[in-house]
Amino acid sequence: MHLRFTAADEEFRAQVADWLSENLVGEFAAVRGRGGPGDEHCFVEERKAWEQRLAEGGWTCIGWPEAWGGRNASIEQQVIFNEEYARAGGPGRVGHIGETLMGPTLLAFGSDAQKKRYLPGIKSGRDLWCQGYSEPSAGSDLANVRTRAIFDEPSQRWRISGQKVWTSLAHESDYVFVIARTDPQQKSHKGLGFFLIAMDQPGVTVRPITQLTGTAEFNEVFFDDAVCSAEDIIGEPGDGWKVAMGLLGFERGVSTLGQQMLFQTELDEIIRIAKSNGSAQDPAIRQRIAEAHIGLRAMRFNSLRMLSGVADDASLGREAMIYKLYWSSWHRNLGKLAMDVLGPDAELLLDGPYELGRLQSLFLFTRADTIYGGTNQIQRNIIAERALGMPKEPRGTAT
Amino acid sequence: MDFTFSDDQLSFRDALHAMLVGEVTTDRIRSRWDTDSGTDEALLQQIQAFGFGSMLVPESLDGLGLDLVDFVLLAEACGRAALPEPVVESAMVVTPLLVDVLDRGLGNGFVQEVLDGLIAGTTSVAVAHPINPCVNFAHRADWLLLEHGDELHLIHRDSTTLKSHKSVDPSRRLASVTFDPSSDTQIANGEAGAKLWRATLNRGALASAAQLLGLTQGIIDQCIQYSTDRHQFGRAIGVNQAVKHLMADVAVQLEYVKPVVYRAAYTAAVSPDRADFAVSHAKIAAARAAMLAARNSIQLHGAMGYTWECDLQIWVKRCWALAREWGDDGFHKNRMHEWLLRPNALLGPEFTFGRRSITDSVDVA
Repeated sequence: MHLRFTAADEEFRAQVADWLSENLVGEFAAVRGRGGPGDEHCFVEERKAWEQRLAEGGWTCIGWPEAWGGRNASIEQQVIFNEEYARAGGPGRVGHIGETLMGPTLLAFGSDAQKKRYLPGIKSGRDLWCQGYSEPSAGSDLANVRTRAIFDEPSQRWRISGQKVWTSLAHESDYVFVIARTDPQQKSHKGLGFFLIAMDQPGVTVRPITQLTGTAEFNEVFFDDAVCSAEDIIGEPGDGWKVAMGLLGFERGVSTLGQQMLFQTELDEIIRIAKSNGSAQDPAIRQRIAEAHIGLRAMRFNSLRMLSGVADDASLGREAMIYKLYWSSWHRNLGKLAMDVLGPDAELLLDGPYELGRLQSLFLFTRADTIYGGTNQIQRNIIAERALGMPKEPRGTAT
Repeated sequence: MDFTFSDDQLSFRDALHAMLVGEVTTDRIRSRWDTDSGTDEALLQQIQAFGFGSMLVPESLDGLGLDLVDFVLLAEACGRAALPEPVVESAMVVTPLLVDVLDRGLGNGFVQEVLDGLIAGTTSVAVAHPINPCVNFAHRADWLLLEHGDELHLIHRDSTTLKSHKSVDPSRRLASVTFDPSSDTQIANGEAGAKLWRATLNRGALASAAQLLGLTQGIIDQCIQYSTDRHQFGRAIGVNQAVKHLMADVAVQLEYVKPVVYRAAYTAAVSPDRADFAVSHAKIAAARAAMLAARNSIQLHGAMGYTWECDLQIWVKRCWALAREWGDDGFHKNRMHEWLLRPNALLGPEFTFGRRSITDSVDVA
């Protein structure tokens, strides 16, 4: 154990910080600190342009191999990049699904032709991706997808029909990756395929879903005989579940360090308000602020511990399974603390029709944190069943 | 000692609940969101027909002569329906304040007239206590009861300045109020004024607590339905312990809050001067249960619970608003601390319902 960054790492950190401070100016000054969770609907055009600026600087996909335009950056460097990015107020990345999910999946499972076709667009910040997993009847029970993919022999194309839901950034994306049923005889995780589909075609319709914050960040996506070519399936029909789960495994947690910088910014803001409106005098509030700080430090240490020793593509250890439950619960409590620090002002909006203040937005958005990407209930099952090896919860018959 | 409600009290509550279930649909609540007034005047007439205007007015002033214990179940029913109109505050906070003013021989020529209008349902009045930064539905009030130090002023809305604020709960219509206090508008001051404001705070907190009870029940109702209807892994999600325990935890809290709120209503009715700690306990406990219900219900509904389309938001946003109105958790906990840590605090079993009177043979809660 050596708990310090190397001189080379510190040099890298300075390089990242310098580049960001030189580039988050002018047309990009307005996007500082914007477009994060709960704010993803803001400054979309500016953030798309920002992706390209990042790419020109060589700061997209830094963990990818150099052969595909990356920097082959170490885990430590990826951590440092994410931390400095968040500290500089780098805007929410509209390209993150392509960079952190689709790219690594193509690198691991894709054919050379698929890599050549899709990786450059992700790397350059030109092509944005979204994720077509959840469906109305396939949420926690993801394997219950009903979207169908049928191979049309005459045209040599796949035809996709069905509905996806909770699709973040679908309305801004160029492509969607979709798990769809290739074998209608099979239920659950068998008989699925993993498809790469262009959004701009007659068979794809996007309808935004308004959240209880009054804003719309995710969507319903309807596929009505949408098409993709025979080459746009990753692996074989029937491999879909394996690819889909592999993709989730690529979120190795480096972005969690950046997320924690955002949390730190939020906590700093709460402390600032508590000092200025007098609630910092309240012993109960003081205790909760201290607890929030303690929780965030522990979160950071555990993330660094989690990432230590993952030098190759080996999957994360069981300590990674606790992360979602921990941060979502911590963040939820932070939202409640923010409201209690605001006191009676917590109810008042900035403006009509439904413009939330930053901390109100935090509070409301943390209600979603414990749901998306696997609810806290599902996370506890994963911890109990997979990390601890306890008996599995019985399941019903898929209908 | 008897914690139960009479058959009359329960059937009155049931009749109101049945009416509200039919009339206060979520579609009609949402349609109020698009209007400036935020109210349904026809519904207000129906509620008036239940006697809300005169219920807490003594018979000597031409009212029905009921008390807060009679009313607490009705407030709960209004909360369960997530009723947007401020009828609970009007009946439970505004009207008793005017009655108190007249009881003490205070006021000016307008007080009786305004009370008569409230009883008849032709006048509406809102109260601005300094603990609340804003007044709900101040715009539709004809008269406002306003604070200036210990003074109590009754002033026509046209003589005040209202500034609108949007609430996190789209059903509410908030405004901050400014006015020029004068001897013409003052109806109480000094010690009497301070006492009136204190009693008003207690009735307001009690009104919130009772509605929060109902809101919590309303949330449980929806969660039971959803967890039965929604299927994952080939069965209703409610069969999973992780899901059903979310509601069991709320149910435990709710049942433990009910007697606390009912007891506070009793004390506020029978011995208002000593109701502070009972009301504060009620507000703390009811808000805590409601906040848990709000949190767990969104969780139970999964991503649906986070959408604008899902009606659950009508209830949870009201919980968030009412939990802070009339004193938040910190304010009421401080009142509890002060009472508990007094050198002569009386805490034994014989004081469960308050101070056993030494000079008085009657136990006055």
